[in-house]
Amino acid sequence: MSSKPLSLKGLDPAQYVVYVGFLLIFAAFAVVLRDDGFLTANNLVNIVQQTAPITIMAIGMVFVLTSGEIDLSIGSVVAIAALVAAVVMRTMPWPVGVAAGLGAGALIGLVNGALVAYVRLPSFLVTLASMGLLAGVGRWLTNLQSVPVTNDVYTAIFGAGALFGIPSLILWTVIGVAVGHFVYRETPFGAHVLATGDNPRAARAAGINVDRLRLGVLVLSSMTAALAGLLYAGRLHGARYTLGETDLLTVIAAVIVGGTRLNGGTGTVVGALIGSLMMGMLNNGLILMGLSVAEQMMVRGLIILAAVALTLREARR
Amino acid sequence: MTLKHLLVAGTMLAGLALAAPALTAPAFADDVTKGPHGETATPGESIQLSPEQIEKVKAGKFTAGLAWHTTSNWSNAVDQGAKDEFAKLGIEVVATTDAGFDAAKQKNDIETILAKKPSVIISLPVDPETAPEVYKPALDAGAKLVFIDNTPKGFEYGKDYVTISTADLVQMGAKAGEALGTALGGKGTVGYIYHDADFYVTNQRDQSFKKTIETKFPDMKIVAEQGLADPTRAEEIAQAFVTKNPGLDAIYVTWAEPAEFVLAALRNAGNTHTKIVTLDLSEPLALDMVKGGNVVAISADEAYSIGTTAANAAALGLIGEKVPPFLAAGAIAITKDNVKEGWNASLHRDPPASLGVN
Repeated sequence: MSSKPLSLKGLDPAQYVVYVGFLLIFAAFAVVLRDDGFLTANNLVNIVQQTAPITIMAIGMVFVLTSGEIDLSIGSVVAIAALVAAVVMRTMPWPVGVAAGLGAGALIGLVNGALVAYVRLPSFLVTLASMGLLAGVGRWLTNLQSVPVTNDVYTAIFGAGALFGIPSLILWTVIGVAVGHFVYRETPFGAHVLATGDNPRAARAAGINVDRLRLGVLVLSSMTAALAGLLYAGRLHGARYTLGETDLLTVIAAVIVGGTRLNGGTGTVVGALIGSLMMGMLNNGLILMGLSVAEQMMVRGLIILAAVALTLREARR
Repeated sequence: MTLKHLLVAGTMLAGLALAAPALTAPAFADDVTKGPHGETATPGESIQLSPEQIEKVKAGKFTAGLAWHTTSNWSNAVDQGAKDEFAKLGIEVVATTDAGFDAAKQKNDIETILAKKPSVIISLPVDPETAPEVYKPALDAGAKLVFIDNTPKGFEYGKDYVTISTADLVQMGAKAGEALGTALGGKGTVGYIYHDADFYVTNQRDQSFKKTIETKFPDMKIVAEQGLADPTRAEEIAQAFVTKNPGLDAIYVTWAEPAEFVLAALRNAGNTHTKIVTLDLSEPLALDMVKGGNVVAISADEAYSIGTTAANAAALGLIGEKVPPFLAAGAIAITKDNVKEGWNASLHRDPPASLGVN
């Protein structure tokens, strides 16, 4: 952990590089793809909608990484929460399904958190193990079968619906980021997360219950992953064990590019949103450019590398 | 096809696999590849455009999007087939995507492709169960759909999609059986490692192999059978087969990836007697084959022509012509003697240089 003083409320260059990068990429696509539909309202709305689950998970990940921990199990939690919710909704009203899905996430977070905070195992290994364990549970739960979700209210709230003309996935993004940002910046919990990530011993000495805090961030992260799972199930009108499988690295990339340090002590929720949108915009723009899949992967990799290099160079002192 | 490609078929309707083979079964020729809804297969190469139709397609200035489930050797060949054929027909490919086996990503991909307003999309659905939501925006936007291998649940042929283009699964299994029978001179003992899952792709291939051995080669006997879910476990299964049946003449493996593990098991045991036959091309297996090792034959589908067929069907659909519901590409058994031809027939390119046959 670094010994950097806890003075991050001011402007840290690492935290605005992402905005510059985002605008540059946006401008580049806007010029190159001006005739390819990139700037249409529909396409831009699509990008925000498509990144909603990643953004929600990124919010949880900001807290986890800031506190100096990591949660590798989020991808598996996505599938479990979606499957649990879908199975419960077969026979019960949709709010019960939602509660069951979120409850599954909370339970997983509690187990992860307890092993980290009280059994004192490293979060990397605990969540690596639960990632594998839960991937197996997801496969076993429904015997590899997809589970349809037919409740129209549920799919409207968590998927394709809209309120006052604003798509529900965009509302989830806005609410999630607003709440996440507020908690991170304005509450004692947020301050304690920062303090713990910056220097756990000092935080403990200052009277912060570091163990409970570690438990808290892992529960939070797991529950954001569960919410992401509910969003996927709403969007696809069904759940499947492969949901979220490839999301972990996208979430981590979005959060790091956004200006949160992998080793703790610094973070930003709004930056994570921008990082997530950047990932979605890259996927979208590179497809619209008509690149082959291999070319898309190479270009995306290079751009992410450049973005991370910029962010981390600024962050290192 | 890779394991993951095979798994794509995982949620297909049950019970489509051929009836369990029996020694009293009628002539093998009665069995044909069936589609996901029980459709009878039409040969893919029969889908051709007349010169007038080609002119009509060219005049239409159509565009196409390709939305793959993943990228692999196999999907690249299908992709190339579709692109080459579209180029001949004057149809511009405006976007290509890879869903990485993620149904949610595939939905994003389709939405993104639609920003370019393609006239037609060729796609292999990751998950038929959730696929209706994936492709609904395309239908709403008026794009024609041509599917590879399977269709979204509830989608109707002729109304929601033009056709399905796929491999001839029964032929693939049968060719593997015939090639093994030929290699063993029509007699010997066989261990049978099948895919233990309710996937119509592997089920049809496996059962077709078994039926071929049982009906065409009376002096060959399947002495050991074991289902497989995890390819890496094939090594243990092969060891068990050989331990229980010393002198086992051959092992059939359901697809190439586990076959590589079977090969590893035989090599580690210093076993040069037991032969291997499997499906889907793999460079390590082909290398063993050309060196006269354990592998005697690899059966492969004509992936490139699955792509060309899909493109032709798409073009016909765009000018309002009707196409049969289920189009199957042929299969080929590749042995030491036809590696170069086989590779070209399947993937439309020369085999890797390491094989030394170019």
